[in-house]
Amino acid sequence: MSVRRRWKRWTLFVLALAVTFANVAPMIWIALSGFKTRLEIFTLPPVWIPSRLFLGNFQRVLDANLPFLLNSAIVTVATTAGVLVLAVPAAFALAVFGFRRKGDLEMWILSTRMMPPIAAAVPLFLASRALGLFDTLPGLVLVYIGFNLSFAVWLATSFFRSMPMEILEAARVDGASWLQILLRIAVPLNRGGLATVSVFTAIFSWNELLVPLFLTSNQAKTFTIVLTEFQGQTNTVWEQMAAGAAIQVIPIVILTFIVQRSIVAGVTMGAVK
Amino acid sequence: MTSTPPRPSRAGAPEPRGLRAFLAHPATPFLTPAVLYLALLTLFPFVYNVILSTTRNNLARPTQTGFVGFDNYVTLFGDRLFQIAIGQTFLVAAGSIVLELVLGFLVARLFFAVRDMPGSSVVRTIYILPMMLTPVVSGLLWSYILNPTLGIANYLLESVGLPAWTWFSSGSSALITLIAVNSWQWGPFLMLLMLAGLMGVPREQYEAAELDGARWWHVVLWIELPAIRDVLTIGLILRLIENFRLFDIVYAATKGGPGTSTEVVSMYAFRQIFQFFNVGYGAAVSVVILFIGVLLTSFAVRLLRKEEPGVR
Repeated sequence: MSVRRRWKRWTLFVLALAVTFANVAPMIWIALSGFKTRLEIFTLPPVWIPSRLFLGNFQRVLDANLPFLLNSAIVTVATTAGVLVLAVPAAFALAVFGFRRKGDLEMWILSTRMMPPIAAAVPLFLASRALGLFDTLPGLVLVYIGFNLSFAVWLATSFFRSMPMEILEAARVDGASWLQILLRIAVPLNRGGLATVSVFTAIFSWNELLVPLFLTSNQAKTFTIVLTEFQGQTNTVWEQMAAGAAIQVIPIVILTFIVQRSIVAGVTMGAVK
Repeated sequence: MTSTPPRPSRAGAPEPRGLRAFLAHPATPFLTPAVLYLALLTLFPFVYNVILSTTRNNLARPTQTGFVGFDNYVTLFGDRLFQIAIGQTFLVAAGSIVLELVLGFLVARLFFAVRDMPGSSVVRTIYILPMMLTPVVSGLLWSYILNPTLGIANYLLESVGLPAWTWFSSGSSALITLIAVNSWQWGPFLMLLMLAGLMGVPREQYEAAELDGARWWHVVLWIELPAIRDVLTIGLILRLIENFRLFDIVYAATKGGPGTSTEVVSMYAFRQIFQFFNVGYGAAVSVVILFIGVLLTSFAVRLLRKEEPGVR
C-alpha cells in the first residue's frame, strides 16, 4: 500500500471516529448530567465534567422507583421466556416442513408485526379491566408476548433455515421424533441465533412505553413510565431525569455489544444477514 | 392453488387436504400455539374496535352509551385535527427517511472505506447505539439538550456566533426538530443496511473500476447503488411503517404541541382514548389507522415477497 493511500485511510478513520463521537455525544451528555447537582444543571457556561462524583440523583431515583425498575426487569425476562416458548417451535415448523399456503401464513405473521399498537389499545384496555389483568404484571407480559411474537418467529425462522437439513433427516431415520429433533439438534445448532432473538425481544420489551401507558396505573408501572414523569407542568427535575435515563440505557448498551455481529439480521427480522 | 403441482418440501412429503391431514401434519403441534396467540391478539381487538366504533361510548359518562351507526366516522373525517395529524405523520416520515437516506449513505461509505482498520467494528457498534436506545429516552434527552434556556444546543450555537433557536418550543420549528430527532435515532438503521449491501460488493469490481479509470460517481452509480438496492427497499418499507407508528418520541418531547404542530396519528388516538375517555370515537380512529396500516403493510409484503426467494 502506498504511503499516500495509507494516509488517506487514516484520515478517513479519524473522520469515522469523529462522526461516531458526534452521534453518541448526546447520550454521553445526558449520562454526565446524571452526576450533576441541580445547581450545576443550570450553570452557564455549562459544567462539562461534573466536579466530583455526585451520586445523589441516582440514589434518589432508585429510592423512589426501585419497584418500577424491578417491574421492567421482570416483565422483560418473562416476555422473553414466553416469546421463546411460542416462537421457537413455530419457527422450526416454518423452516423445516412444507405445507399448503405456508407463504400466506408467513406473510400474515409478518403483517401482525407491522400494525400500529395504538390501534389495539381500546380493546386491550377494556379486556384487561374486565379480566382483572389491568395494572398487573401478567397482564403486561401477555400483551408484550403478543407484540413481540411475530418478530421472533420471523427472525428464528431465518436462522433455522440455514441449518443443514441432512442432519435432521438422518436423525429422523434413526427414529427420533420431531420434538426430540427440535430440542436435541435444532436448538443447540442455532444457539447463537436464538440468543439474538432473545436479546432483541428483551430490548424491545425493556424499551416499551405505549403498552404500560394504557395497561398500568401504579402497581405494574414500568421504568419507562417513571422516566416520563420527571417532566412536570411547572418544574422538571432534569438531574433526576438524566440519572434515570442513564439507568434505563445501561442494559441496552451491554446487550447491543453482546449481539453486535447479528444486529443487521435482528433489525431486519432476518431479511438481511 | 389446487391446480399447481405440490411444492417439494424440504423434509415432508406432499400432503393431502382435510381436517384429518391437518391434525396428522407434523407442523401442526409446533405452529398452533403461536398462531392461535397471534390470532387472538389481532382479531379480537379488530372485531371489538369495529363494534365499539359504531357506539357512543365515553368511559367518563357511562350512562349515555348507545348505537350511533357511522356517526363517529363522519365526525372523524370532518375533524381538522385528524387531517393535520395524518398529514404531519407522513411529513415526518418523508422528511426523516430522506434525511436518514442521504446521511446514512455518506456514513455507510465512510465505514466501508475504513472496514479493515483495527477496531472498526466496535466503532460501528458505538455509532449505531442511538437506534437501540429507548425511544422515550431519546425524546427526553433531546428536550433537555434543546431546551431554549438551559440546553447545551443553544449555548453552543451562541458561542460560535449563531443565533439561538426555538427547537421544540415554538410551533414553527417543532416539526422540523422532531424530524431531526427521529432521524438521529433511526438513521443508523438505514446506514447499517446500506453498509451491509456495500460489504457484498466483490473487491474485484472496485479494482476493475479503478483500472478503467472510473470516477467516484461512476462507482456510486453503477456499482454501489445496484448493490444496496435490495436491502434498501426492505429498509425503506420498514422505516415507512415504523414512522406511521411514531409515538414514544412525541409523547416524551412534545405531546403533540406546541398547539398542534407535532400532532401525529398515534398521539391523536391516544389523546381521544386516554385523555377524553372517548372509547367509541377512539375505536373509530383505531379502525381507520388499522386500515391505513393494512394498506402500507400489504404493499410492504408484496415487495418483500419479491425480494425473498425463500418465500415462494
